[in-house]
Amino acid sequence: MAVIARSRRDFLALAGTSATGFLLARPHDAIGQMVGGSAPFSDYRALVCLFLFGGNDSFNMLVPRSTAEYNAYAASRQNLAVAQADLLPIDSLNPDGALYGVHPSMPGLHALFAQESAAFVANVGPLIAPTTKAQYQGGSVPLPPQLFSHNDQQNQWHSLRGRTLSDTGWAGRMADLIRLNVAGQQLATNVSLAGNSLFQSGDETVAYTMGAAGPLAFQGFAGLGGEQRRAFERIINASYDSIYARGFAEVQRRAVEAADRVTAAIAQAPPLTTQFPTSSLGQQFQTVARLISVRDRLAMQRQVFLVSAGGFDSHDDQLVNQPALLASVSACLAAFYAATVELGVASSVTTFTQSDFGRTLTSNGDGTDHAWGGVQLVIGQSVRGRRIFGRYPSLALNGPDDVGGGRLIPGVSADQYAATLARWFGIPDADLAHVAPHLGNFAERDLGLMI
Amino acid sequence: MGATQADADRVIAIGYEAWIDEQLTRPASLALPHLQSIQPPPQNIQELHRDRVDVWFRNAVNGGDQLRQRVAFALSEIMVVSQAGALGNLPYAVASYQDLLVTQGLGNFRDLSEAITLHPAMGVYLSMLGNQKPNQQGTIRPDENYARELMQLFTIGLVELNLDGTPRIDSTGQPIPTYSQPIIEGFAHVYTGWTYANAPNGNFLQARPTPLSQVMPMQLYPNYHDTGPKLVLGGVTIPANQAGAQDLDAALDSIFAHPNVGPFIARRLIQRLVTSNPSSEYVSRVAQRFNDNGRGVRGDLAAVVKAILLDAEARGPSTASTGKIKEPLLRLTQLWRAYNGRAPDGGFRAFANPSGSLGQGPLQANSVFNFFSPDFAPSGEIRDAGLVAPELEIATEYQNTQVTNTFRTYTFGRNSRTAGLPADAIVINIEAEIAVAADTNALVNLVADKLLAGQVSATLRAEMTNLVGRYATTDGPNRAAQAIYSVVTSPEYVLQP
Repeated sequence: MAVIARSRRDFLALAGTSATGFLLARPHDAIGQMVGGSAPFSDYRALVCLFLFGGNDSFNMLVPRSTAEYNAYAASRQNLAVAQADLLPIDSLNPDGALYGVHPSMPGLHALFAQESAAFVANVGPLIAPTTKAQYQGGSVPLPPQLFSHNDQQNQWHSLRGRTLSDTGWAGRMADLIRLNVAGQQLATNVSLAGNSLFQSGDETVAYTMGAAGPLAFQGFAGLGGEQRRAFERIINASYDSIYARGFAEVQRRAVEAADRVTAAIAQAPPLTTQFPTSSLGQQFQTVARLISVRDRLAMQRQVFLVSAGGFDSHDDQLVNQPALLASVSACLAAFYAATVELGVASSVTTFTQSDFGRTLTSNGDGTDHAWGGVQLVIGQSVRGRRIFGRYPSLALNGPDDVGGGRLIPGVSADQYAATLARWFGIPDADLAHVAPHLGNFAERDLGLMI
Repeated sequence: MGATQADADRVIAIGYEAWIDEQLTRPASLALPHLQSIQPPPQNIQELHRDRVDVWFRNAVNGGDQLRQRVAFALSEIMVVSQAGALGNLPYAVASYQDLLVTQGLGNFRDLSEAITLHPAMGVYLSMLGNQKPNQQGTIRPDENYARELMQLFTIGLVELNLDGTPRIDSTGQPIPTYSQPIIEGFAHVYTGWTYANAPNGNFLQARPTPLSQVMPMQLYPNYHDTGPKLVLGGVTIPANQAGAQDLDAALDSIFAHPNVGPFIARRLIQRLVTSNPSSEYVSRVAQRFNDNGRGVRGDLAAVVKAILLDAEARGPSTASTGKIKEPLLRLTQLWRAYNGRAPDGGFRAFANPSGSLGQGPLQANSVFNFFSPDFAPSGEIRDAGLVAPELEIATEYQNTQVTNTFRTYTFGRNSRTAGLPADAIVINIEAEIAVAADTNALVNLVADKLLAGQVSATLRAEMTNLVGRYATTDGPNRAAQAIYSVVTSPEYVLQP
């Protein structure tokens, strides 16, 4: 097993730190009931999380087109409403007959939906238990702490911790659960192209972080007959009294250990004919595609990639900024999907979005403020596409879903959303509660959006 | 921004407290005058951001007001505005905001909170600038961005705190929120009617950023200010029909009076300046000083900083969890201060993209949440012990490699003996090291004195000796660069003990 994929507990034991005993004494309820023991998986699957930082105004991404519903939308959104005639009409397989349109700057997404490779999940967000407006107002149901705050709600999406003190993310916990099954992997299950994230933080596993264009090599390490590198390694492997120095050195060890192997593997990636947008997000998706193309070289069986885009906190100038942001998301998702088709892995790779929160339906003049539920996207050939999952909410102000200013109570919890994806990823039903701790509070354990 | 031998000598000569007092009298080294001196301004506005970063480094590396610069940098990571985003085309505003932190960062917190509130850089960054009263139909309501973040991130935080910075707990064991959505909305209404000063024809809607209006406090345009009553903190409702400036005073007073401000700011400044994990007693002592500087004044930041730096916990013996990670930008300014790093013209314009090289740059955070969170805890022993290490949030495998490579460039590749460099290259002066380089031991000692206050571990000393010894004794430049490179990429340099 490569060091990079080794569990942190093993790693600490190896490094001889005094924390080991404490760690071993800690209860890990789900560890020990590994997925099918420690047998390798029989196939390859990857989840790609696109996190839209700042809170995507997603009720402008998927908009009701039927007259009464559109009129309610337009009345709530005022000067921020997308014109009815501008919406790209979609024809969903949902039996309810409701009509919707996609934001006009998202033709790529529109096409993926039409070809049944994309689905929407309407009005999803952090919840602890099903919540009605009356329960919200009466305080009779526990709520996630600090609703409407960026970092707290990002934290909720990443961790699903609700009011508990958990400090791991749901992708990190998935990696913990399968760590023995994927023991042969040459790279950590979790790879971030978007910096450190609670989402991928596990108790037993650590994510590997690279740049938008992939990992970097250490310059000059071949110098002095390779002694430059060996000396560097001896320095970072020395024992340090300070927890901060140790924490820093641990990252350096992982960096040195993985850089050569991953750089060498990615250098073998076959050229892709799919063209990606040149934006940072396009580059991130391209790097993910290249890593997937060398998955066998790295003996990868299960991967969770994190990519991200920022700028969605549209308090200001939303009419100028949002179309460009959504256009970028659409073009990047379309390119990445095309690359998975080109690589023959479109049914093995599922891309999904998360974002801090939806935004107020009401306008603050030229933008919107922090709210709660929103619409998310799921893409891939294993998705039951051309469908909208979850109940599309009433967009009327002071309507049954509005807690004020057009802040909508989610109808689907982030736990249900995560658990559905986790189950597809290979987490058995018995372990889903470890991934999504509040799943048991909801009747529907699986949203049915995966084939 | 990194100690030099001269700094150390001065502190030893006059003592810590006198050194701080002396620093408080030093004139502020500013950024805006430098930008304004560039006439005519460049066609490409981005060139002025390069100049802003240039002058930031000039002041950080060479300024005589090191304490001001260091505290301003700390505050720039708490009361964040950033060139990345809406301020991308407003370099004068960003430079002026930096100067505000330098000139008022050691003043009174109440004044500072008003100054940042009315600064157009903050106005643009958190969208108070141009924020209007509700329209007549009631379909458009005020922007809540600044209302929320001023309280959450800059002053009181999300939950009520004890004096020692721990959360207060209610009878059911839950923390107590500091504010509710109606209070956010109250503040949002307070912050209406303000935009750039000197709007053409006095018309709010025509206000535009000019080199001058970017650096003047925002102006109130009364017709756009909401005149209804407004709920703020402390159970205060601001009465209807007050002037906008009166509303603002009352609102900021209600924040300043909140008991959280002391412990909140104490913990954040301690984390930025001294240690990631201050004891509750340490926070309490500093918060006390915030609440009363000893002369009955609340919010005296000079007294707060003095209390932080002179506290027994800051000066006492090191333990496993005292100190903090030194963030990449400070690792570089320390190197440049110790080795007189600069281009031949004295500047740093060649270091155009600090974020690309270091993962951070002056006033270049990705969001108002700064480069890293004050509560970041990497998985492993730090998290397991219930501790935090904020700066490690940006110490990813990728960024650590990037920073390590940047230090290779700025030691081996940019020193006083490197041939063939561009005219604006920033080089470190390694002549003193070259003079002793044939004597490995003397070289190691000299570098350790300059960069590690002489405290070099046995392992690092052995490896420096090993590596330096692989170059010919006559190869002074490589011996010197190697010794410096090995130190600045070592965990012990990265630690601020």
